[in-house]
Amino acid sequence: MQKLQILADSAKYDVSCSSSGSNRQANGRMGNAHAAGICHSWAADGRCISLLKVLFTNRCVYNCEYCVNKRTNDFPRASFEPDELARLTVEFYRRNYIEGLFLSSAVEVSPDYTAERILECLELLRYKYGFSGYIHAKIIPGVSPEILHRIGLVADRLSVNIEMPTSKSLEAFAPQKKPKQIFAPMRQITNTLIETNSLKGPGTMFKGQQLNSSENYLSGGASTGHAVTAGRAGLPAVPGRGTFAAAGQTTQMIIGAGGETDESILTTSENLYRTFKMKRVYYSAYIPVVNSPILPDKKTAPPLAREHRIYQADWLLRFYGFSVSELFARGDGNLDPDLDPKVTWALRNLDKFPVEVNTASYEELMRIPGIGHKSAMRIIRQRRFAAVRYDELKKMGVVLKRARYFILCCGRYYGNRKFEPETIRNSMLQMESGLQMSMFDSGGNLLAYDSSWQKIEEGERREKLSLAGVI
Amino acid sequence: MRDYLYDGSFEGILTCIYHHYYTDRAAGIYRREDYQPSLLHGYMEVETEEDKATRVYEAIENKISTYSLRSIYRAYLSCDPDKENKILRYVLLGFQKGHQLGSLHGNPAVHDMDVLNKKVGFEQERMLEFVRFEVLDAKAGQQVLYAEIEPDNDVLELAAHHFAERFRHDPLVIRDAGRNKAIVAYEGHWYVTPLGERLAGGGVVTPDGTVMELSQDEIDYQHLWQTYFDNIAIKERINPRCQRNFMPVRYWKHLTEMNRS
Repeated sequence: MQKLQILADSAKYDVSCSSSGSNRQANGRMGNAHAAGICHSWAADGRCISLLKVLFTNRCVYNCEYCVNKRTNDFPRASFEPDELARLTVEFYRRNYIEGLFLSSAVEVSPDYTAERILECLELLRYKYGFSGYIHAKIIPGVSPEILHRIGLVADRLSVNIEMPTSKSLEAFAPQKKPKQIFAPMRQITNTLIETNSLKGPGTMFKGQQLNSSENYLSGGASTGHAVTAGRAGLPAVPGRGTFAAAGQTTQMIIGAGGETDESILTTSENLYRTFKMKRVYYSAYIPVVNSPILPDKKTAPPLAREHRIYQADWLLRFYGFSVSELFARGDGNLDPDLDPKVTWALRNLDKFPVEVNTASYEELMRIPGIGHKSAMRIIRQRRFAAVRYDELKKMGVVLKRARYFILCCGRYYGNRKFEPETIRNSMLQMESGLQMSMFDSGGNLLAYDSSWQKIEEGERREKLSLAGVI
Repeated sequence: MRDYLYDGSFEGILTCIYHHYYTDRAAGIYRREDYQPSLLHGYMEVETEEDKATRVYEAIENKISTYSLRSIYRAYLSCDPDKENKILRYVLLGFQKGHQLGSLHGNPAVHDMDVLNKKVGFEQERMLEFVRFEVLDAKAGQQVLYAEIEPDNDVLELAAHHFAERFRHDPLVIRDAGRNKAIVAYEGHWYVTPLGERLAGGGVVTPDGTVMELSQDEIDYQHLWQTYFDNIAIKERINPRCQRNFMPVRYWKHLTEMNRS
């Protein structure tokens, strides 16, 4: 019991919890995988619990500055036995507590030693207990290609954490991890996915492109020994039981530990998406867990708002056809904290707007703030039969408080009097701060306590409004 | 024009729709026990008739679409007090518009149906998430997975297939405590049945009188899960409002991690 407490406690800073991307009918003795993923519970911090997320061990030989498990941290340590963890997973799964297992680990003795123990546990789970639920295995940089391959055969998703957005900060904070060691397994995973004809890529970024072809094969990665012949049909299948990492690979980055800008973080993600075609990059706002001279001190609050904006931008990259260079056309390389990145982009490119919803293409619709995949598809479906009218847009799921400034509907514009970036920006901000005001009013204490701060805010808002010509 | 009263079954609604076309136009369809007589028009109690219901069922499938038929059935499972009339308006519109009905999201009748479907679909997914099984010992060393739920909408049967597939080799029972019915599943097959009651100690009595007790290590695993649940939260990011958004309090009663005794 205490073991689980310690090892869950150490694993909680891993972000990914998704159980999606793998669709498997029951073929073992127990379980299946659901393509959309299922979350089973939500912890007190509001993050979902889908997988049993634990470290195999938290005894670590590395000394990464940002990590709770760094060698010099005085902290209770524990390890699982392979069979013990496999049994626990099965019993939790039967009770519908979890979708599967997310197994990560600190580096005990050496990367290969740890990876072998992980492999032993996963193989027990798959073959002895006949478990066919979801398994996400974390790959430790520096592991040998053979073990990596065998882990891939039993896991649904693999991930190698890149941790830091630039190699410079990686060197500063995790001197024992080398960029080379991180990229080698990533390359190998992508190559094996191409060999097994199962590389899917991030979101809709590569829609309509043939990913599983030899052009996408990455050179320099450790190969599994299969020569790649040109063309899709000629690719040999990987021998062994089952498929290789059917749900693809992901990675994770820490936000706000080094001094990177949002632009450099997202450029790294874009490169990861383009090169390795990985499914997702996760971001975690840095939480000061250890005292360190080179990191933000322990009282710093995690930059949750920044994390949120970066996730929004990440979605724009993967599903909306944006590129990083568009999102950061000018400025200091950070995203606007007040408005979401799509709105900011639209305001910078007002010459492309307003867009007539009844004639715009799918790609154009997707670039309008307040319209997403679902509402875009609904608009396209309906306008085959009848023109879409403005009062119907809301029912189709369009968020009008954003979209109204950027669309024409049957030739009419429903936004402000002035079609200028500043005016639109201010009326959007005004609406949002109006919402915040009403929250303050309900909690009388807050209002009194923060009155001086609020006066300053109020003044700023007035200034913005008068600039916009509203008052 | 009159109100039709039906017995609460899906076939009952379909029979009312039949009468709308062949007897008298329907002003509304209501559940017999909930009906408040109207001053404007009279009412008629409709006997559910299999062949009439089948004709409407097939007409919807052939003249509108299977998609619409599905959404009508799911709307029927919802707890909306006005669902019968929403279904009626949707079907009437459907016989005019044909197969394009499902795409007319801007139309109020279609929109109502979309809303009901969304609610039912959402709760169905929630059931996949929130069902918590307890392992019971039945006779002869056999173990049974047992869970109780209390959903707002009648989504029990929509969740059945998922669990029957997932736990093929464990017999399982999920009981809807509010509606007092249960699904029993084994080896991929399942059926709906009324099911007995819960004992104070956590055991269950089946209709034929057998008692199944909690298995020996059940409580230990529940404690393990609660320990895990408490430790996975990052205390710097505590956000109870977000937690309740995803996991509304009304479901906590049957969640092992939220309901500690």
